[in-house]
Amino acid sequence: MKDTLVLTQRALREALRTPEAVIPTLFIPLFFLVVNVGQAGKIFPGSSTAFLHGQGYAGFQLPSSLLLGASFGSAAMFLVEDIEGGYFDRLRAAPISRIALVLSRLLAESVKALVLTSAMVAISLLFGVRIASGIGGFLLILLLNGSWAVVYAGFMQLIALRTRSGAATQSGGLVFFPLLFLTPSFVPRDMLTRPMEIAASCNPVTYIMEGLRTLVLGDVDWGSVGLAFAVVGGLGVVMLFLNVRMIRSYD
Amino acid sequence: MTWAVEATGLRKTYPAKDGEVEAVRGVDLHVRTGEVFGFLGPNGAGKSTTVRMLTTLLTITGGTASVAGVDVAKDPDGVRRKIGVALQEAGLDPRQTGRELLTLQARLFGNSTAEAKDIAQVQLELVDLVEAGDHRVKGYSGGMKRRLDLASALVHEPEVLFLDEPTTGLDPASRLTIWDEVRRINGHGTTVFLTTQYLEEADQLCDRLAIIDGGRIVLEGTPADLKADLRRRKGLTADPTLDDVFLDATGRTRTKVAGEVAEVQA
Repeated sequence: MKDTLVLTQRALREALRTPEAVIPTLFIPLFFLVVNVGQAGKIFPGSSTAFLHGQGYAGFQLPSSLLLGASFGSAAMFLVEDIEGGYFDRLRAAPISRIALVLSRLLAESVKALVLTSAMVAISLLFGVRIASGIGGFLLILLLNGSWAVVYAGFMQLIALRTRSGAATQSGGLVFFPLLFLTPSFVPRDMLTRPMEIAASCNPVTYIMEGLRTLVLGDVDWGSVGLAFAVVGGLGVVMLFLNVRMIRSYD
Repeated sequence: MTWAVEATGLRKTYPAKDGEVEAVRGVDLHVRTGEVFGFLGPNGAGKSTTVRMLTTLLTITGGTASVAGVDVAKDPDGVRRKIGVALQEAGLDPRQTGRELLTLQARLFGNSTAEAKDIAQVQLELVDLVEAGDHRVKGYSGGMKRRLDLASALVHEPEVLFLDEPTTGLDPASRLTIWDEVRRINGHGTTVFLTTQYLEEADQLCDRLAIIDGGRIVLEGTPADLKADLRRRKGLTADPTLDDVFLDATGRTRTKVAGEVAEVQA
């Protein structure tokens, strides 16, 4: 555990020293939030749109932006740099747990996601969003989004360990866009066309988005929240297992 | 006798389109405790692959190997505790300072934060990087990076130090500094396993050496014995150089092509 914490500190220091890699992860999701609300905000006025529970459309869009921000983690790209520069071999030649090598970057990614999510929620308050589930709900939003950041960083890290290529790893990050758009990102699932509803129902991101959304908009549906945590927890276990297996067979 | 490095029938194969490629084909090695052992060979001969197997960075396909008395395949963590490694590519994190990098490395070998900071300071002094220690590594020159890499490999006072082409790409002054470092480290009793393409370097530093070609050891001995043997076999009137020994052992020769000296297969 000590090795994991030491390497997590190093990964966080790395992030602090490369603000150019972190700032876009805040800017781009906010850009999408502004653009999407600007395009559809008048179609769904808060006063007469039932699924907004009295809030503006920004509250409905916020979870999409939070998930997008949490999926922009830089852990895998930094890992590729370590591999290409030879530092990863130095770490592998040290008598430390192989799990620490992969877990440390994922933990650092979760810390970054907590900070990013807090900042985005704070900024969204300027758009009239309020977290209807209160402080407890806000903490659950942090936990859920931070956990998703670990899952996605774990996926990206798998690509990095497998390909050892910056270009391939960066391309892997684009997988999130279809995942994000095959969700009820603009309207609730029951308002989607049937094929789109089926696609969204098969997409695990949908359940995490719906969990976040119920915490933001109020009228909290604990079933949705529980399902969101179950999905992200399950994916987290799978990603951790695959990462550990990959690092143990890394040659 | 306990060998610092011992390998028997060491093999490494990689999968390829049409079967597999055998990079190392049954290498036997016996490196004595406390010596500087040179491991020479042309490009692609299997030097780095052998070093990466001995340092636990590559799995062993066949044969056995032990370092400092510990079996590489059965107890890789045990080996890692006893070795220092500086590979061809200086394994450094450009975003950390030299001091942070050494402190982190010392912590990974089980030291407390306070102990690790003390170790980092000592190592920075030894490699003459105290002034640069609080600057980020990305601003270091090639020679400074190589010295920091060496220091990083030494934070836990390893029994065996593996140096894979430590002076490649360095200017002559930096190269001499690294030679001095290798002598100093070896003077404290650390066994040094050195791969190099510079035969003068091997001649200067190594007590014994082995030449690998095509994944097999083709020659082994002290530099003086190897040169004397070649002189005797070829009936030379003057002492040959280690270059001559190397070219003879690897079946290569030098010839003039278009006015330039080129190395070609015999």
